[in-house]
Amino acid sequence: MHIRETREPDAGLVARLKAGDPDAYREAVRRYTPGMLAVARYYTDHSSAEDIVQDCWAKVVTAIQGFEGRSGLSTWLHRIVANRAKNTLRHRQRELTTDFSEALDPDLASRFKPNGRWAVPPRMTTSESAEALLENGALSDCLDKHLSRLPEAQRSALMLYEAHQRHSDEVCNILDVSASNLRVLLHRARQKIFLMVEHFQESGEC
Amino acid sequence: MLMCRDLATIASDYLDGELGATDRLSVKVHLMMCRNCRSFIGNLRNSAALIRAHSSQTPDPDYLRRLDENIAKALAGKDRDDPGE
Ligand SMILES: [Zn+2]
Repeated sequence: MHIRETREPDAGLVARLKAGDPDAYREAVRRYTPGMLAVARYYTDHSSAEDIVQDCWAKVVTAIQGFEGRSGLSTWLHRIVANRAKNTLRHRQRELTTDFSEALDPDLASRFKPNGRWAVPPRMTTSESAEALLENGALSDCLDKHLSRLPEAQRSALMLYEAHQRHSDEVCNILDVSASNLRVLLHRARQKIFLMVEHFQESGEC
Repeated sequence: MLMCRDLATIASDYLDGELGATDRLSVKVHLMMCRNCRSFIGNLRNSAALIRAHSSQTPDPDYLRRLDENIAKALAGKDRDDPGE
């Protein structure tokens, strides 16, 4: 279990941003850009996401004066990116390809007997740390491939929740997903990665 | 009674502390008795950690530098009180 940030220690940073301190911007860019890109990626492809985030940073230079600290700085930045992305892509229809009625991945669901017990139990026995596993370049590439194949909604929610440690309610808010759909989305993605790692460990292939 | 399939269905909620007390207890009791589900939940926790470690890569340094330059320009423009803004 990991601790999610509740309050960001960024009051000092905000003051320096408002004062137009270039070092503060360098620091903020490095701290918040990954999360902002994750938000933009929910709406669009990688290169448009980079453009959107770049535009947003240029806007922040003046908009920061209106930041009152009622939300955290990252929440505020994420909201700017989400609004901008939505406006730019208003006419583009996004389809949600996740079937939210099923929390179990079909490939995993088929591994249970009718009585609800495992028919094909998990075959992994290793409990190496994630970092140790990722040192295997082939597995890391395979993970890349699988994550990039996820529907964008899944991938983006995943990145915000897992990598950038956002609260579920914030992810729901920014991405317009319901809390229960977010739960399904996270669970489905983890199962996909579980199945991928299991297959990889057994066969050495992606 | 909670079956393995049920446990697999709510495993992420368990890992993220999103279950109510009763369900949480059922999962714990089941895990004490079931080796397969212990293995599943351990591996699912690992999958979450793997996603976490993998997705927190830093963006391309060239891109970050472009952002810095762009911000520097915007800051300079603001100082001049650019009426074009
Ligand atoms: Zn079981």
